[in-house]
Amino acid sequence: MVDPTTSRLALSLPGFEHVKRAWNEAYGAYSARLNPGEYYVTKNDEAIYTTLGSCISACIRDRVSGIGGMNHFMLPASSEEGGWKAAGLGSATRYGNFAMEHLINEILKNGGNRQNLEVKLFGGGRIIANMTDVGKRNISFARDYIETEGLRVTSEDVGEVYPRMVVYFPNSGKVRVKRLRSLHNNTIADQETRYLQTIEKKPVSGDIELF
Amino acid sequence: MSTNITGLVKDVGSLVTLPDVFIRINELVENPDSTVAEIAKVVSQDPSFTVRLLRVANSSFYGFSSTVDTVPKAISIIGTSQIRSLALATSVASAFDGLPNSLVSMHDFWKHSLYCALIARILAKKAKRCDPDAVFTAALLHDIGELVIFNRMPKPAQDAILLVLDSGDEMPIYLAERQIIGFDHAQVGGELARQWKLPPMLEECVEFHHDIRGELRYPREVALVHIANVLALMAEVHTFDPQDVPPIDSLGWEMVGLTPDEVINEAISEAEEEISEAEQLFLGK
Repeated sequence: MVDPTTSRLALSLPGFEHVKRAWNEAYGAYSARLNPGEYYVTKNDEAIYTTLGSCISACIRDRVSGIGGMNHFMLPASSEEGGWKAAGLGSATRYGNFAMEHLINEILKNGGNRQNLEVKLFGGGRIIANMTDVGKRNISFARDYIETEGLRVTSEDVGEVYPRMVVYFPNSGKVRVKRLRSLHNNTIADQETRYLQTIEKKPVSGDIELF
Repeated sequence: MSTNITGLVKDVGSLVTLPDVFIRINELVENPDSTVAEIAKVVSQDPSFTVRLLRVANSSFYGFSSTVDTVPKAISIIGTSQIRSLALATSVASAFDGLPNSLVSMHDFWKHSLYCALIARILAKKAKRCDPDAVFTAALLHDIGELVIFNRMPKPAQDAILLVLDSGDEMPIYLAERQIIGFDHAQVGGELARQWKLPPMLEECVEFHHDIRGELRYPREVALVHIANVLALMAEVHTFDPQDVPPIDSLGWEMVGLTPDEVINEAISEAEEEISEAEQLFLGK
């Protein structure tokens, strides 16, 4: 366990300086807080945490070197039902690809080895009743993506009706998933709706940067 | 906007009112000279409460072996004080229909409250020495202050929720409320109970369910609601892991004389079995 009085906040990898990090007493570690649409990759012994409603987070790490990270995304609802599955087509899938590629590429770029990657999946809950199950779409997308990439999901907690708090320690691979009480549903759904509006307004370009 | 508790509760006074039938039963129960016949008369004058009372009396909630088909019979086997509890329990959810909010659905809100009530009742039966029906009602009411805060001050209320989420769900909501608003939902609920002139036991349970270490007149009942609140959160997210929810004050277990390991899983499981029927009985329109 890291002692906050003697340990300092280790530098983040280039490109992740904007992610908010603070000492978290309960985790005994510095912790990066991810908002919808963000991702974070680290070599440090630190935690990454986020809250998920119908959004999904992939937690990916090199299980040998401990380099790893987390993303937090959802597919825009604008695509036609069923159409999103055709790989590479439509802005919806493009957005999911973008979130997954970025996470994996950053890990590889910083010394991660593709055959050591392990993946954990969380989120995709149906937290608001009487709405189309967008969580389910996000889950299917993430599973399809991981399968296509030849990677394997080693653990997951997805679907159902709960929002979740996910805390990931890439160094050890440890994950803590806490289902959240319904009191938080609307607030989390609000955050996700606002995020969805920003990505629907500004769809990602067709090209994904490859490293 | 009112920034103090009394003003806040006064503001909603006309929007949330208790039904006449409860107020009249409450007066009769408080008066030692009143009779079962008088209470039965008051009940019978409210057909919708009469129906709800008989439904509850004949449900597995009480498990009486014979059919309870008349109001006097219901009162004599359930008890006059318990009838008062039931009158409040079956009407409180609809009393708050006039106080909507955009932060939590009424369904989700009352489901948590009902889980708390069911678990408090189960624990009260095990612990003995407390009236299970009174504790049930106290637990059902424990978060009413939240509905007042959510309706009157939605922005600070949401900021408090965001603070909880930012802490990784480590900070309890009442502490986030104190930090952002200056007071918490338990204090607001306590004030509402006072203005409604509810029995002091209910008032104390509502006001101190997060903070059981003060000088209390009803320490056991308050402790039961405190414990039941946390177990209700466990039931809500289907977990038996105490790490998933805020801690229970160990003093609470001492007060009620129960051993956590012996009762937690059983109480949660039992409440999960009862919840659907209870929703029909207490939250149904």
